[in-house]
Amino acid sequence: MRLLLVEDNARLASLIREGLDRQGFAVDWCETVSGAEHALAITMYDLLLLDLGLPDGEGLDLVRGLRRRQDTMPILVLTARGGLDDRVVGLDAGADDYLVKPFQIPELAARCRALLRRPGASLGTELSAGNVTLHSAERSVKVSGEPVVATPREVDLLECLLRRAGHVVAKLAIEGALYSMDAEVTPNALEACVSRLRKRLATAGADVQITTVHGVGYALFAPIAAHG
Amino acid sequence: MDKAGNSKRGPAGPTLFRQIATRLAAFTLLFALLDVGIVVFTYSSQPESLAQELLTLEANKAERSTAPVPDLLAGPPGAEHWAARYVEPAAGGSAPPPSRVDAPSGVLMDWTRRERIPGGYRISGVRSVQQGGQQRWLYMQFEGDGIRPYVPVIANEIVQHVVLPLIPLSLLLLLFNVFAVRRVLGPLQRAEAEVDALDPDNVLLRLSEAPEPREVNTLVRAVNRALTRLDKTMAILRGFTANAAHELRTPLSIMQLSLDKLPPGPLRDDLQADTQHMARLVGQMLDLAQADALAVEPDVLVDLADIGRDIVGAMAPKAFAAQRELRFEAVGDTRALGHAEAIYRIYRNLIDNALAHAPGATPIEVTAGPGPQLSVRDHGPGIADEDLPHIFERFWRKDRRKSDGAGLGLGIVQRLAEAHGGAITARNAPGGGALFEVTFAPPEPGR
Repeated sequence: MRLLLVEDNARLASLIREGLDRQGFAVDWCETVSGAEHALAITMYDLLLLDLGLPDGEGLDLVRGLRRRQDTMPILVLTARGGLDDRVVGLDAGADDYLVKPFQIPELAARCRALLRRPGASLGTELSAGNVTLHSAERSVKVSGEPVVATPREVDLLECLLRRAGHVVAKLAIEGALYSMDAEVTPNALEACVSRLRKRLATAGADVQITTVHGVGYALFAPIAAHG
Repeated sequence: MDKAGNSKRGPAGPTLFRQIATRLAAFTLLFALLDVGIVVFTYSSQPESLAQELLTLEANKAERSTAPVPDLLAGPPGAEHWAARYVEPAAGGSAPPPSRVDAPSGVLMDWTRRERIPGGYRISGVRSVQQGGQQRWLYMQFEGDGIRPYVPVIANEIVQHVVLPLIPLSLLLLLFNVFAVRRVLGPLQRAEAEVDALDPDNVLLRLSEAPEPREVNTLVRAVNRALTRLDKTMAILRGFTANAAHELRTPLSIMQLSLDKLPPGPLRDDLQADTQHMARLVGQMLDLAQADALAVEPDVLVDLADIGRDIVGAMAPKAFAAQRELRFEAVGDTRALGHAEAIYRIYRNLIDNALAHAPGATPIEVTAGPGPQLSVRDHGPGIADEDLPHIFERFWRKDRRKSDGAGLGLGIVQRLAEAHGGAITARNAPGGGALFEVTFAPPEPGR
């Protein structure tokens, strides 16, 4: 996994590189917008970590430039700007996520992984959280390496939750992914499906937990350790 | 809107109109007294002209009276001896002839004589009077002493020369003043209303400048200049907090990440907790500076339910890690006018507050609607009565040693609600637990 970090503070950059290195990412570093453009032109990166205020320009201009060229590389903005409109402006410019300084390495690593897991991202045929693994091409689910039998709809549901593990997935979004447009969806069809999947995973000895967030949706949480 | 109107309209001092009226009256009185002094002084140095006026006054009285015999007239006050009768100009007229008949025969003329006698003075003279369309001549003589007989003369002089000209003049001046003051105060009253309407949130507002009168115009312009300076100071202040917080974030990141490299132990844990507390404080100071500067566009429609779902989704992992349950519910129409990111932070701070104050294993209920309002309710111990007045104060914490927050979260919520023209209330919910409710401006009907 190759990441490009654009950050003008050398000490912070070296700390981030060290931290992500320990989490299994290879991080290249440059200090300026022009340096970043140069690096992006000669190397394929899986993810861009971008500080906003750079010595020779605005980080967001780099984001806009990439998006204008139809580049779908995931971009995570790291910034000291936590203003009311900054996050919206950043996401509107085409960034995929926005992390305000100060942050901790586990949080940064988790966000990076979440971005790399997204559909369209270069990685992610095998999704996992805790001891649960799902192979998205084979449509197979394993707990601690042992295959678990599940209906296609349950596998779809698990994939939805695994792709956003640690985050709440809106009920509407799950329904949209699980049921075709014209299918009649009864109000508690999804609820029943979640409940069956929970039972199946629990029986197989899975250590992840599928939580209902009333009024919002569902979330799959891996054992606490991964979420500082 | 409600914070204005409590201290204004106090009867602090007389109105400008009353001041002008009082001063004008005092000035008129002073002027009259001066005038009286001049009259009295002039006549007291000229006893002859006083005597002359006295006889003329008596003759006027006789002219107006219907008494057939002028002797019956009262005469001037204090007269010791008074005599009056008609005389005929024709020769051989009834005697006694006036002592001075130097006039051409057949014609009498007005004359006056004043002579000193023992114990006073004697005044005698003739005046022509019109009675029944006929000219007659009145001979008068009296003796008196001191100033007393002259009092009616002097009073008459005062009426003629002081009161009659001064009263209309004063009235005219007063009328003119009423008009002038009204004219001057009109723009001042407008300026007063505008100053009352000045809102610290709307820093760009200025008083409208009326071209005249120039004095009011210069005052209004001076106030506007002061407002501009105030704006600049406020901007610097807000900018300072925002910049300070912003600049602190990078070194804080470095500190936090460097601490991770220390060998594990109680010292590292303490330092990590401290930097986390500081990071939180810096974040809140920046939030507060931005909340203070927030101007809400009056026509942006947001859905409180959408924002609520977003934030509850975003905070559920944190709640889960703390083994707490977050619930969200939307009731009815939840549209409101507002700033989505600001409302997001209102929810976030209220949920943070509930996570910090209610014990584990109790649910936190987040609700949007019905109507343009949201609420966050926990099932903790609720808010003590003595704490209620303080919970929105900046930097207030119930227990400084125990709390890891800065005491800014609820202050930020209040400020953000106010920036929306909304309000926040805190109370204990029936059945226990704290309930925070925020109301916003409703969307205009028909949208």
